[in-house]
Amino acid sequence: QMWQAGKRQASRAFSLYANIDILRPYFDVEPVQVRARLLESMIPVKMINFPQKIAGELYGPLMLVFTLVAILLHGMKTSDTIIREGTLMGTAIGTCFGYWLGVSSFIYFLAYLCNAQITMVQMLSLLGYGLFGHCITLFVTYNIHFHSLFYIFWLGVGGLSTLRMVAVLVSRTVGHTQRLILCGTLAALHMLFLLYLHFAYHKVVEGILDTLEGPNVPPFQRVARDIPVVPNAVLNTTAKAVALTL
Amino acid sequence: MSNFEQFHFDFYQSNYTIDDQEEGYNSYGSNENLCGSRKSQTGEQPPASAFAPSEMLLSSQNYTGQILQPTYTPNTLSHLSYADGFDEEPPLLEELGINFEHIWQKTLTVLNPMKPADGSIMNETDLTGPMVFCLALGATLLLAGKVHFGYVYGMSAIGCLAMHALLNLMSVPGVSHGCVASVLGYCLLPMVILSSSAVVFSLQGILGTLLALFIIGWCSFSASKIFSSALAMEGQQLLIAYPCALLYGLFALLTVF
Repeated sequence: QMWQAGKRQASRAFSLYANIDILRPYFDVEPVQVRARLLESMIPVKMINFPQKIAGELYGPLMLVFTLVAILLHGMKTSDTIIREGTLMGTAIGTCFGYWLGVSSFIYFLAYLCNAQITMVQMLSLLGYGLFGHCITLFVTYNIHFHSLFYIFWLGVGGLSTLRMVAVLVSRTVGHTQRLILCGTLAALHMLFLLYLHFAYHKVVEGILDTLEGPNVPPFQRVARDIPVVPNAVLNTTAKAVALTL
Repeated sequence: MSNFEQFHFDFYQSNYTIDDQEEGYNSYGSNENLCGSRKSQTGEQPPASAFAPSEMLLSSQNYTGQILQPTYTPNTLSHLSYADGFDEEPPLLEELGINFEHIWQKTLTVLNPMKPADGSIMNETDLTGPMVFCLALGATLLLAGKVHFGYVYGMSAIGCLAMHALLNLMSVPGVSHGCVASVLGYCLLPMVILSSSAVVFSLQGILGTLLALFIIGWCSFSASKIFSSALAMEGQQLLIAYPCALLYGLFALLTVF
C-alpha cells in the first residue's frame, strides 16, 4: 500500500521534472533541413546589419557532438594514446560535451552582458553547427599526418565556421565594444579548441612532442605505435605529391 | 501428578505463544520457528499462576494441535498441485516467451536489408534473440583474444537508453525500452560477422577499415528501416540511421582495435 503510494508520488515527480517532451519541438527536422544547415554553417553571411535567423534545433548539434566524440576516439585508438586517470571514452565525451555546453553557456552569459539578442537554444544550435568545421578538419588530419596541412585546414575550415558564427552574433549585437568582446571571445575559444584537439589526441611526429608539450606529459603518456607503416606512407606520399604539383 | 503438573507447565508456557500464533496463523513456516524461539525464551516463567488459566489449556491443546498441522498440509497440497498441473502446464518455451519462428523471421529481416520490413513484427518485446547475439559477439571477440564482455553490455545498455530518448523525442507515438533494445540487439548480427572475421585476419588495414564501414552501414540501415516502418517516420530514416551508425561504429571500434 505504502509502496504503491510512494511509486505514484515518484512517477508524478519524475514526469514533472524529467519531462523531456519540452525538448520535443527541437528535434522535429527533415534530413534536407539538416543538410542545408550543415552546409550553411560554413558560409559566412554578408548582411550584418539585419539580425540573422538562427534555427533553434538540437538534433544537428547533438549529432555533430557525438560525431566529434567518435572521431576523437578513432584518433586516440589509432595513435595508441593511453589515458592514466580515466577512460578513453570518458575523456572524449567529457571534452566534447563540456566544450559544447560550457562554451555555449559562457557565450550566452556574455551575450546577456553585452545585450545581444540570442536565446540559449539558439546559442547551443549555433555552436553545435560550428563544430562541423572541427569534425571535417580532425577527420582529415587524423588520417593524414601532415602538420602544414593541419594549419591550412585550421585557418581555412576553422576560420570559415568561426566567421559564420561571428557574423551571426555581430548581426544581433549593437555597439562596437560589445561586438568586439563577444566575437573576440568566441573566435578565440573556437580556434583554440581545434588546436587543442589536434595536438592533445593524436600521434605527434617525434620531436614536436618534446618541444611543444613538455610540461603536459604527466596526464597521459604516449606509447610508440606499431601499426602497419604501409597505409600511412601511401597517404603521406600522395599528399606530398599533390602539394608539389600545386 | 508431578508429571501432569509439568505437562501443565509446558502448556502454560506455550500460552504466551498462542496469541502471537493466532495472528501468525497464516505464516506456516515461521510459526514453528516462533514456537520454538518463544518456548525457549519463556522457559523460565514462574509457575506461580500456573493453575489459573485452566480453560486456556484446553484451547491451547486445540490450538497446538491445529497449529502443527498446517505446516505440513501446504507442502503436501503444493506437491499435489504440481502433480496435477504437470499435464496442463504450457510448454517451457511458450511459457518463457521464446518463439523460434518469430526469432528466425526477425533475423532474416535483418540479414536482408533490401526487403521491406513489416512494421508489426516489432510489436512484441523479444529479448532472447538480442541476448544470444550479444553473447555471440562477446564469444567471437574472445576468440580473437579480447575479453570485452563488460564493454559490450555497457555500451548496448547506454546505447539503448540514448536511442530510446531520441526516438521518443522524434516520433509521435512513443516507443518502449523493450522495443528499442530488441531492434538494436537484432541488428547487431552483422557485427558478429565482422568480429568473427577479425579472428581470421587483422582488421587494422585498409581492407579491415572498408569492411568495418560496410558492416556499420548494413547494421544501421536495417535498424533504421525497422524503426522507421514501426514508428511511421518515413522521411526521417536517414536521421535515425545516423545515430545508429554512431552506436555501431563504437562496437566496430571495439572489434577492430
